[in-house]
Amino acid sequence: MFESRGEKVFVSAITVILIILSLIALIPILSVLSISLSSKSVVEMNLVTLWPKSFTLDSWGYIIVRPDLWKSFFLTLISTLIGTGLALLLTALLAYPLSKQEFRWGPVIMIAVVIAMIFKAPIVPYFLTIRGIGLYDNPLVLIVPHILNPFNLIIMRSFFKQFSKELEEAAFLEGCGYFRMLFQFVLPLSKAVLATLALFYAVVVWNQFQTPLLFLQNPDWFPLQIKIRQFIMDDNIIMPGAASTIDLNYNQRTLRAATVIFSMIPIIAVYPFLQKYFVKGAMIGSVKG
Amino acid sequence: MKANTAIETREENELNTAKFYRMKVYWPLYVMALPGIIFLIIFKYIPLLGSVIAFKDYSVFQGIANSPWVGLKHFNTLISHPDFIRVFGNTLILGFLKVVFVFPVPILLALMINEVRKSALKKGIQTTLYIPHFLSWVIVAGIVFDVFSLSGLINIVIGWFGNEPVLAMQESAYFRPIYVITSIWRDAGWGTVVYMAAISAIDPQLYESGMIDGASKFKQMRHITFPLLLPTVLVLFLLEIGNFLDLGFDQVFNLLTPMTYSVGDILDTYVFRTGIQQGQYSFATAVGLFQSIVGFILVYIFNRLSKKVSDGGLW
Repeated sequence: MFESRGEKVFVSAITVILIILSLIALIPILSVLSISLSSKSVVEMNLVTLWPKSFTLDSWGYIIVRPDLWKSFFLTLISTLIGTGLALLLTALLAYPLSKQEFRWGPVIMIAVVIAMIFKAPIVPYFLTIRGIGLYDNPLVLIVPHILNPFNLIIMRSFFKQFSKELEEAAFLEGCGYFRMLFQFVLPLSKAVLATLALFYAVVVWNQFQTPLLFLQNPDWFPLQIKIRQFIMDDNIIMPGAASTIDLNYNQRTLRAATVIFSMIPIIAVYPFLQKYFVKGAMIGSVKG
Repeated sequence: MKANTAIETREENELNTAKFYRMKVYWPLYVMALPGIIFLIIFKYIPLLGSVIAFKDYSVFQGIANSPWVGLKHFNTLISHPDFIRVFGNTLILGFLKVVFVFPVPILLALMINEVRKSALKKGIQTTLYIPHFLSWVIVAGIVFDVFSLSGLINIVIGWFGNEPVLAMQESAYFRPIYVITSIWRDAGWGTVVYMAAISAIDPQLYESGMIDGASKFKQMRHITFPLLLPTVLVLFLLEIGNFLDLGFDQVFNLLTPMTYSVGDILDTYVFRTGIQQGQYSFATAVGLFQSIVGFILVYIFNRLSKKVSDGGLW
C-alpha cells in the first residue's frame, strides 16, 4: 500500500498520543499503589510519586489482618457470585422467549422492558417499594434488586436471535422441549455473551454503593464499598487509638492507599480473563440493541 | 348467509384449536418468562407507579392509597424553595459541563484508536483505557482524594514548579473541574466501545475508493469515518440529554466534602437528604419526578431539532 511520509507521521503521532493517554489513565492507580507500599517517613516527606520508596509491606500487613475488612470482603464476594449466577439465569429465562416469534407476549414485554430502561423511578418510591417487600436492613438487598437489567436483557435477546431456526426445528422434531433447548443447546453456544453479561452484573454487585447506603443499617451487613468509604472518611475506623502510632511504619494515608488497592484486586484479577469476551459482547448489544 | 356462518364457526373452531395447540406446545416459553416479568413489575413498575405520592401527602401509617391528594402542592413548594433553586442550578451547570467536555472525548478517542495499525498495540491501549470504568466511585474517590491531598502526586508536581500546594478537594472552585476530570478518567475509555463498534461496521470499500481518489488518512477520517459515525453520535447525544440532570449519585456523593457543598450539592444528593434521611417522602418524590420530566422534555426538544437538521433521531 502506498503511503506518504505525512501519513506515517500522522499515524505515529496519534499512536504516541494514545500511549501517553493510556499511561495517564494508569498513573493515579500507580501513585496510590506506591503510597501503599512505601514507609510512613518517605510518604510524609513527599518523596513518593510513581514508585514505592523504602519499600515496606507494613500497611498491607495491618490491612489484611483486619477481620472487619475481610468480613465485608467475603460478604461482597458471596453476593457477587450468587447475584451474578441468578442474574444470568433470570436474564436468559426472559431473553429466550423474547427471542422467539411464537412467543405471543413478546412485543408487549419488549416495550415494557424499553420503558423500564428509559424511565427510572424516583428514588423515594423505589425505596418505599423495596422496604415494603421486606428487604430493608436485609442482606438479600445486596443481590435481589440487581438480578435483571433491561439493557443486559436486550443484549442477550439480540444474541439469541442469531441462532438458526433449522437447528432448533431439528431438535424440536427429536422431541426436545424449550427448556432443554435453552440449557443444552442455546446457553452452551452463548459463552461470549454470558461472559460479557457476567462481567457487567458482577461489577454492578461488587461496586454497589447507593443500594447498601439506602437500605442497610446494621454494620454487620456492610459490603466492601461502604467499608472503604468509612475507611476513607473516618480516621477512627481505620486506626483506632491513632495517637500511639509514632513508631509505626504506616500512617492513615498509606493504610487508605492499601485499602483502596485491596478492593480493586478482584476486579483487576478477573478482568484479563473476561476482556476478550466483553468487547465483542458489548458490540453485539450496541449495534443491534 | 348460512354458508357464511358455517365458515365463520369453522374458522372460530380452527382458531380455538390453534390456540389450544399454541398453549400445549408453547407453555414453557410463558413459564420461563414469568420470573423476569414479576421482577420487572416489582422492581421497575411498582416504584414507577408509586411516583403518585408526589401528588399526595404520603404518610407511612396511611400507605400510598389512603394518603390524601394534595395536587401540585409539593411542586409549588419546590419551585419557590431557595435550597431547591441552588441545587437545581448546580445540577444544570454540572450537566452542561458534562455534555460539553465529557461527551465528545470518547468520539475523539475512538477516531484515534481506529488509526492505530498494530493490532496488539491497539488492543493494549483499549484494555488500559477501559480499566478505570470497572472501579467503583468509592475507589475512584479514594484515589482522587489521595492524588489531590496536600502531599499527593498533584501537589508534588506543583511543588516542582515552585508553586504553593492546593487542597483541591476542599475548595469549591475546584469541584466542577474535578467532576469533569474524574468523569473522563473513569468512563471515556469505555465510552469508545460503542463508537468502535459503529466504525467496524463501515464498509471497507469506502476507504478503498477514498484511497484511489488520493484521500489522505486524515481526509478519510474527516470525510468517511466521522460522517458515518454521526448517526451513532446523535443517538448517544440524545440519550445523554435525557440523562442531563442524572449526574450519578455515587460519583458526586463520594467526591463531595463539607467545603464543596455550595457547588456540588445536586438533585440526586438533595433527594437522598430530604427524602431518605429526613423522611419528606412526597416532597423528594416531586423533586425526582421533576428531574425525569425535565429529562423527557429535553429529549423531546432535541429530537425535534435533530430531525430538522438531519433525518436521524430516536423516534
